[in-house]
Amino acid sequence: MNDRTQSALVRLTRELVRLPGIGQKTAQRLAFHLMKVDKDEALRLAQAIQDVKERVTFCVQCRNMTESTLCEICQDPKRDRTKILVVEEPSTLHAIEHSKAFNGLYHVLFGALSPLEGVGPSDIRAHELENRVKAGGIEEVIIATNPTIEGEATAIYLTKLLRPYGVRVSRIAYGIPVGMDIEYADEVTLLKSIEGRRECP
Amino acid sequence: MPLLNSKAVILHSQRWGEADRIITGFSQRAGKIRAIAYGARKLKSRFGGVLEPFNLIQLTLFERTPTSLARVSQAELLESFSAIREHLHLMGQAARMATLVKAITADHDPNEALFQALVGGLRALTTTPDPQGVMLVFQIHVLDHAGFRPEMGSCTTCGSSLGTARGWFAPWSGGMICAQCRHTQSGPCLSMAPGSIAFVNQAKRLPFPVVTRLRATGQVRREVEEALDAFIRTILGTPLPEIASWAAEDEPRYALPVSSARS
Ligand SMILES: [Zn+2]
Ligand SMILES: [Zn+2]
Repeated sequence: MNDRTQSALVRLTRELVRLPGIGQKTAQRLAFHLMKVDKDEALRLAQAIQDVKERVTFCVQCRNMTESTLCEICQDPKRDRTKILVVEEPSTLHAIEHSKAFNGLYHVLFGALSPLEGVGPSDIRAHELENRVKAGGIEEVIIATNPTIEGEATAIYLTKLLRPYGVRVSRIAYGIPVGMDIEYADEVTLLKSIEGRRECP
Repeated sequence: MPLLNSKAVILHSQRWGEADRIITGFSQRAGKIRAIAYGARKLKSRFGGVLEPFNLIQLTLFERTPTSLARVSQAELLESFSAIREHLHLMGQAARMATLVKAITADHDPNEALFQALVGGLRALTTTPDPQGVMLVFQIHVLDHAGFRPEMGSCTTCGSSLGTARGWFAPWSGGMICAQCRHTQSGPCLSMAPGSIAFVNQAKRLPFPVVTRLRATGQVRREVEEALDAFIRTILGTPLPEIASWAAEDEPRYALPVSSARS
């Protein structure tokens, strides 16, 4: 291996290792793999990365990822336009979409509030959400922030912000994962699931 | 053999890697510790919400990992102070408490009094009609137990007794200075009324939760707050962060009659 090929390989490894969840060993294996496969196959990856960066932007309404001004969900006439589900990250949106459990619209915050660490309402575009509610037609806002301190703070803030507009503000239920034995749940999860109980229909 | 089995309060919890968390806690038996909880963010993690900030837990740590962090092997919830999580203002004050303890202590330096002040302070936040007041006495206790007890009785420069007159708090000196020394020293000083000095002295003497019955109002509160802010800024090299205005307004409203709230 001459110096130039080595440095290209090292450079690729160095880029891969910066991706979330990829360690030095995995990065090396991926880099060697990409070196061995057909040029076309490897370049498809490069092209896909380039396309994502050049074409994908954020939906002007919900900040989901999209290749046009409005995302597919916001454009879809079959979605229930009276409900907005609020998530911290696009990955949560995709998990909920995949479950087909929700047929309304979304709002992606890209973060959560932190009373001390300088993440305030403008950083999570809370007022864009307020404006959507203010514009009318929304009956319910469902908050699906993470059950962490920051997620709780965000939920409290958004509830206070949106209630005055007469919309129903709810939070998704937090508790025992389906398929798990209740006895193995930690105390906080148990507490949350008892707090979040509901009457049997 | 576990590295540590102790009660601990979670001061900070940070996402790490794909599914892990790194926690900073203040433990009863080993003081401030940092540890990694593998898989803590996974659905079926046995840690669940136990490792969230402000929880008082029973914590078991095991051998050091290659990253030199201890590994959390067990964590059981003892007290969650859940009322703190219902109001942004209380979350902010609890976060300031955690920030102060985290910044002012060294790793692996056990401090029973400080541990008790931390638990007492968080517990007091869940019931008080006056969170700022709790924070005030909490700061006095933490400074005291962390080895920064502000000297209030005699001049830190010449040692003369101060008596009961108005005095001057000099953060750079670690306490009060007398009227004479005040003119020969160049550092900034904050004027303290006899009532303010008495408040700090009383707060130092009384333990939690009794100390939260002390009420500083008006000028006394202002002076003590300013003196503590300046002292902490001097010790830490940076001020304790303020609660953002959007969070500060969200205070619990207690339907207590004014007389019992002030007793
Ligand atoms: Zn959209
Ligand atoms: Zn003096």
